[in-house]
Amino acid sequence: MTTPSEIAVERRGGTVVAHLGGEVDMTNAAHVRDELLASIPNDALGLVLDLGECRYLDSAAIEVVFDMARRMRRRRQDLRLVVPLSSPLKRVLELTDVASAAPLYESLDSALEG
Amino acid sequence: MPRRRAEHPRDEPRTQTRQQAAVADLGRRALAGMGLDELLGEAAETAARELGADRGAVLELTGDGRGVLVRAAHGFHEGLVGEALPAAPEEVPDLRIASALAAPIGEGRHQFGAIGVYTDVPRRFGDDDANFLQAVANVIGAGVERVRQDERVRGMRKSESDFRDLADTAPVMIWTTDERGLVTFVNEGWLSYTGTTLEEELGPSWSLGVHPDDAEEVLATWDEALAERRPWELEYRLRRSDGEYRWIVDRGMPRYERGRYAGYVGTAIDIHERKLMEGRLREVYEREHRIAETLQRSLLPERLPEIEGLDLAARYLPAGSGAAVGGDWYDALERPDGRVALVVGDVVGQGLRAAAIMGQLRNAFRAYGLVESSPAEVVARINRLVMTGEEEAMATLLYLVLDRETGEVAYTSAGHPPPLVLAPDGARFLEGGRSVPVGAAEPAVFRENTSVLPPGSSLLLYTDGLVERRDVPLERRLRELATAAAGGESDDLDQLCDHVLDRVLGPSEPGDDVALLAVRPKPVAAERISMALPADPQSLVGLRRRLGRFLHAAGASPIEAYEITLTVCEAAGNAIEHAYGPADATYEVHAAFEDGELVAEVRDRGSWRGRRGTYRGRGLKIIELLMDDVRVSTEHEGTVVRMRRRLAAAKAA
Repeated sequence: MTTPSEIAVERRGGTVVAHLGGEVDMTNAAHVRDELLASIPNDALGLVLDLGECRYLDSAAIEVVFDMARRMRRRRQDLRLVVPLSSPLKRVLELTDVASAAPLYESLDSALEG
Repeated sequence: MPRRRAEHPRDEPRTQTRQQAAVADLGRRALAGMGLDELLGEAAETAARELGADRGAVLELTGDGRGVLVRAAHGFHEGLVGEALPAAPEEVPDLRIASALAAPIGEGRHQFGAIGVYTDVPRRFGDDDANFLQAVANVIGAGVERVRQDERVRGMRKSESDFRDLADTAPVMIWTTDERGLVTFVNEGWLSYTGTTLEEELGPSWSLGVHPDDAEEVLATWDEALAERRPWELEYRLRRSDGEYRWIVDRGMPRYERGRYAGYVGTAIDIHERKLMEGRLREVYEREHRIAETLQRSLLPERLPEIEGLDLAARYLPAGSGAAVGGDWYDALERPDGRVALVVGDVVGQGLRAAAIMGQLRNAFRAYGLVESSPAEVVARINRLVMTGEEEAMATLLYLVLDRETGEVAYTSAGHPPPLVLAPDGARFLEGGRSVPVGAAEPAVFRENTSVLPPGSSLLLYTDGLVERRDVPLERRLRELATAAAGGESDDLDQLCDHVLDRVLGPSEPGDDVALLAVRPKPVAAERISMALPADPQSLVGLRRRLGRFLHAAGASPIEAYEITLTVCEAAGNAIEHAYGPADATYEVHAAFEDGELVAEVRDRGSWRGRRGTYRGRGLKIIELLMDDVRVSTEHEGTVVRMRRRLAAAKAA
């Protein structure tokens, strides 16, 4: 049994929106990171990573968020996360201070506006 | 015309002697084989001369009995021979005949015609004259009869030799038997084909060159046909002159001579090439059948995926060997939302094409099943794909999404028979959610329905090959399926599948492909779990599922379930990373509730080496942040992490 994850990417103006569904753990974190980075062209302003359909992130996945934010900052690009209020992930992301690397938004619209 | 009578007064005795001599001479020549026309010419002349008449003629009755044909003439103008006269010559004024004497040739039905003598001036003929003329007519009659006989004989000889020529040059082997079935003739074709002699073939030895494996059938069928005088036909192998056994088809018909059964006449031809071609075609067909079956099997999941918390078993029975392979399939996958998607489908059509379409549909199911959470939308997307595809295709399918933890199912049936629920209180079909088959219409509305499986239920998905039978109404077959399945309930789903197939299909090979998928959420042990897992990151998914079900059953909220699962898995991740030894190393996870408090334990056989980089450090930090109490200790040769957390529901209680 492998960890199921799904990435759907769309372009919203200058920003890339990636919807990450399913689960990310130590077995597929590196793969998910490479996929996400590959979806961001150089001319994009940044990436909004929508975790609304995401059910599970482990420490390796959270590390990927920090890592991506670091790499994108070097490219002068911006990483934002969408984490709905109802998401079971919300507390863990707050406790691990992910917001220090990538700000959290409760909806896609607010993330695109912010 | 000379007037002979006046110049040669008649001398009666001499005349009679001379006339007898003339008749005898004529008769001799007639029997010696003189041609008919010459005989008739001689007769006309002899009769006229001997009777002192001016003219003579032989007349043949025409076919319709009216008028006569002049076959020979003496003393008439040239060109009369061959002419048809409307009546006897003396009645034809142009011929200006004064007196006539005629005698019939042949009698009654066999009358050929007549011979006549004619005078230019009136004359009376006496009895002697008439007798003489009749004698000539009789000679002619004998001559005609002889010639006719010769013609008949020649004709028979000709047709017989024609038959033999035909028989010997025809590309067929021909034989005849007598009424007892003994061979009386085989043609040259047979002899040159088999390299035998006529003497060898004649009599009872006619199965001489028949292949030993075919001899029994040849003799048995031949004896049977012979006894009933029925036509006989058989394809068998006959040894050719070069020793090769070749396929021939041999046919015999009873023959009758003058209405009396006289034996058999038969023909045989070499059909070896055709037979080989048939064999090759059959091989090609069988090969395609095998390819389609192989393709089909290769497209079916080789093993059903192992899905935590779910028992799965499946069967695929190809249709009987005579039928083409169909396009049935089944599949199961775990969705990102943790539910399980199940499908069974049946592509309309057979053979390679159906198998290939099945492969496409299966891929479509795997793609859309992951992305779309609504069964109706998954089926609608598959339908759109099929309708826009280049190939025309149609399929029925049943798509169902199951929540292992709650037993909730959502499903869409695209023209497919309903799934069967085996609940502890009885069997029932999941009705509703019915729509048209995919590939039938676009746009099409696909409905979905939901239901909840009572704890301990099993679910059977199947294709119509299991229940459809031409002579039995579907409703009855469905009832039979429900009865058979209810009677076969077993902890082992494989046994259940075998029981259902055995009861519903019976011992015969199915007429259509059958796919059967059985599913059962594993019962949850609410109090504790205890597992030994391989020290492999791939084990983490199964661990999460098991914990999820355990926590759900214990009343944990989604956030609590996630956080507890996360901490246990972080500890497990450490155990995996630090496990010593070979790949078959294991770690253990135990979890239980003690007075509403979760107590979880992860044990490995390695030792923790403290923080290794921020990432591992973050894992440890997560464990500390999310648990009420965490203790790490070294026991025996490994590390044990003990974690406790009280659930909100329990705290409130």
